[in-house]
Amino acid sequence: MFHRKTPAALRAIAGGLVLSLALAAGASAEQIKLRMTIWSANEAHLKLFNGIAEGFKKENPDVTVSFEPLPFETYTTALTTQIAGGNAPDMAWIFETAAYDFVNSGALVPLTKTLAAAPGYNLGEISPAATERWSRDGVLYAYPFSTSPFAVFVNNDLIRKAGAKTPAELIAAGQWTWPNAIATAQAVAQGGKGGLVVRDFNYQAWQYLSSVWNGWGAAPWSADGKRCTFADKPMVDALTFIHDAIFVKKAIPGPGQNVDFFAGDAAMTITQISRASLLPKDKRFDWDLVPLPKGSVGDYAIVGQAGIGVLQSGKNSATAAAFVAYMTNPENSARLAQFFPSARKSLLNAEVLAKTNALLSPAQLDKVVVSGIATGKVMPAHTGFARLQQMARSGLDAVWQPQADIPAATRAICGQIGPLLAQ
Amino acid sequence: MTRTPDDPARGPPPDAPRAFWTMARRDSLAGFLFAAPQLAGTLVFVLVPLGLVFWYSLHEWNVLANTFNYTGSLNYEQLLGDPSLPGVLLASALFSAGLVVLNMSLALLLAVLLNQKLAGIAVFRTLFFSPVVVSLVAWTIVWGFLLQHNGGINGVLRLLGIEGPNWLRTPGTAMLSVIVVQVFKNVGLNMVLFLAALQGVPRELYEAARIDGAPRFKQFRRITLPLISPTILLTSIITVVGSLQVFAQIAVLTQGGPGVSTTVLVYYLYQQTFQFHRFGYGSTLAIVLFAIVALLTLAQWQMRRRFVFHEQ
Amino acid sequence: MNSEIPARTKVALYGLLCVLLIPFVFPTWWMVTSSLKPISDIFVFPPQFLPTHPDWSTYKQVFTIQPFAQQYWNSAWIAAVVTAATLAVSSMAGYAFARIRFPGADALFIVVLIGLLIPSEVTIVPLFRMFLKLGWVNTHWPLVLIPVFGAPSVFATFIMRQFFIALPQELEEAARVDGLGRFKIFRTIALPLARPALASVAIFTFLHSWNLYLEPIVFLSTPSKFTLPQALTQYTDAYGGPMWNIQLAAATLTALPVLIVFVLAQKQFVEGLAHTGLKG
Repeated sequence: MFHRKTPAALRAIAGGLVLSLALAAGASAEQIKLRMTIWSANEAHLKLFNGIAEGFKKENPDVTVSFEPLPFETYTTALTTQIAGGNAPDMAWIFETAAYDFVNSGALVPLTKTLAAAPGYNLGEISPAATERWSRDGVLYAYPFSTSPFAVFVNNDLIRKAGAKTPAELIAAGQWTWPNAIATAQAVAQGGKGGLVVRDFNYQAWQYLSSVWNGWGAAPWSADGKRCTFADKPMVDALTFIHDAIFVKKAIPGPGQNVDFFAGDAAMTITQISRASLLPKDKRFDWDLVPLPKGSVGDYAIVGQAGIGVLQSGKNSATAAAFVAYMTNPENSARLAQFFPSARKSLLNAEVLAKTNALLSPAQLDKVVVSGIATGKVMPAHTGFARLQQMARSGLDAVWQPQADIPAATRAICGQIGPLLAQ
Repeated sequence: MTRTPDDPARGPPPDAPRAFWTMARRDSLAGFLFAAPQLAGTLVFVLVPLGLVFWYSLHEWNVLANTFNYTGSLNYEQLLGDPSLPGVLLASALFSAGLVVLNMSLALLLAVLLNQKLAGIAVFRTLFFSPVVVSLVAWTIVWGFLLQHNGGINGVLRLLGIEGPNWLRTPGTAMLSVIVVQVFKNVGLNMVLFLAALQGVPRELYEAARIDGAPRFKQFRRITLPLISPTILLTSIITVVGSLQVFAQIAVLTQGGPGVSTTVLVYYLYQQTFQFHRFGYGSTLAIVLFAIVALLTLAQWQMRRRFVFHEQ
Repeated sequence: MNSEIPARTKVALYGLLCVLLIPFVFPTWWMVTSSLKPISDIFVFPPQFLPTHPDWSTYKQVFTIQPFAQQYWNSAWIAAVVTAATLAVSSMAGYAFARIRFPGADALFIVVLIGLLIPSEVTIVPLFRMFLKLGWVNTHWPLVLIPVFGAPSVFATFIMRQFFIALPQELEEAARVDGLGRFKIFRTIALPLARPALASVAIFTFLHSWNLYLEPIVFLSTPSKFTLPQALTQYTDAYGGPMWNIQLAAATLTALPVLIVFVLAQKQFVEGLAHTGLKG
């Protein structure tokens, strides 16, 4: 990728260099096949990625990049098993919850040099806040290609039919708070449809509940990760509110209930904006996109991140790093931004996003995406996350019962994970 | 090679040169060769891995960091101090006990019922056996689906006016559900074995007892049970050992939850090894599992002296 | 047991059997009918016992979402190879342990029996590492070699041994007197007589391989190499929510052929099992 201002002559020389290098590599240049594991099997996403791979191939004809989707729920396990099995991919997407494990283990190739050296890359415009989780000792080990704020998708048809206030109306009145959101959800649920669905949570992936409990200022552990805060007042209050919404008000579908917002079966759903690709193309229902409701601590935002890392165990890590630099340069970042909001400052405005994002209105983009990324906290993570996640998950099962003693359950959780956190 | 004499029973004549490849030796060689694949396989795929498992349990193996460090008995100490372990062992015990009792009694009941000369009994036999041949994961997925809070089973119960529990998400019923799913899948096998055993009991014994005026239940207790006791013992060993290996059902239905109520030892092993990537600790759990299986089988085998009827 | 059953008892018996039959048959029925329902109809109340709007597209989607045909073939050929190889290995070993007195036979048999005590989950990690060193992870080799030579085939050997012990020896003794070698005796006399035992070993082994779940998920990571039990759990949408009707369609396709074969050959199935010699 050459900067527009580069004189034509320099471009020609550089192009010639690339060409001669390629020729020098041998008349029968070795076909380099790179593989990147991802967790999205969405066709629109794949089309975009393959398009970017084609662009890379134009400048590097012997490099073919393929994308391998692994199932979302078991992604990290499957990836680590591939690595353990000697079948590691060249590049991999990494969940923000697994970031610390991968970055600190030495399994990833440091990327700072390659990214900074790529012409026109402008590594500096990515904020330290966005890269905090993906760096160690000032070196970047995985690029946060997606900083995706959580927002509320709304089905206005169902809400109006139930005679409740739509989020847009509540926002206009300055009353878009959690109690009101639940009231609206409850009204719809009484009519037989689903109320509010925290997507991907499914009573197993509790880290997604942070989109709710951050409104109370709650967190599973302290900022330095050393102390368990499940049993602290903010978390207990938040869980009590959620429990009430599930079992008393029935505003949130209970354990084992499968309700899909995008099939038109729920009033609202909290999820990342990349899920916008799941909206029915035929405008089956009148939908809206709004920020998260106000919690007891006021307005708040939460983001999920996804990083791309290059694995040390791959045979062509230098080429892979070059591809990552290409895929996340300013031009391609703008294309990715329609599904995966970029952390680049220059791309963080509504006009840029609107150009490539046909589904969302500029107002929606501004209110939800731009401010979400600017102010949002990243989802909770920790080293050894898989084990902590499982322990907290089984402890939380005691909370997802009709009769639950929440303080006791959270104390039990801290009893279990406390010792592990302190390590 | 010298030829063997005509009558192998007599052995080579005293003055003839001693042949190396006697009939007996050739037979022994044949024996080894016949058993060789199985023996080699046992060595490579059973004994060596078992030894290696013990070896791993003495190490800490981090996959991402690619380290493999000797830690001695550290994993075993962790095992003794593992707060989850008693719960896991209890879950395993409950599961195995529940499964064996339910499975064996249902199999025996079905075998007795099907051992009648009724028209179309073979059709029933086929239908009861059919779940055995359905794919395990398919069977589990369908049941998982029926056991949803708003699934088929609760739907039927609601028609009868009963509000069913959230089968898979409530601690007590989750374990019961997993047991029941497994029982209905495999009971057909034990049913067929019991049926064959029942049909091997000589009719005359029942006739004689009837003439003596013994009631049916006494006939069952005094004649049937003792004579099929070898089958009962063998099937119970197989069922117990099988119950300790149940993995797919739990992985698909409950993922060890709610809480850790359905985390049996085998599933806990899988979690530690493949989800948390603690291969060293997982190997320690594997040794524990092996020890439990060996002990239980030995105990059951010893019981045969007391409970199994020997026709001497 | 009884020669004359009063009519009332007959009715009671049939009734009881029908009631008991429900949990055995209902799930299969539900699986087939739900595979044809649109997702919204599956959880509807009152439950639909027959699909009201049959949607045959689920069966097409089974094949488009995953390389299902390939996965079906994977399961089938692996099971076939494992069955054939196990029959060979176990019948020979069983015959040897039953008939041939060679030094250490008893001790070696007990060593082999240890395999019955070891669940596959115990040895899966070192086996994984073994195959990793050979570069055979993410291939089908482990799924063939482990069942044929490892713990699962020990049960087969046990059955064959039991059968051969119970088999009368006269024919073989006569052949030995005539000077026939062991292998010829095995091939021409013992093996043909062992059909019932071979049949039951074949059934057990085929079903075991068809249902293998842990080994495939540990060893295989490319969807086109998956086997059916593994593939069945992968019918989720782009973000992980299960697509019930399609998953059930795949489950039906997995179960139905085996069920049909079973129904047609059920006499052999059941009688083969009864002849395992486990009667004591």
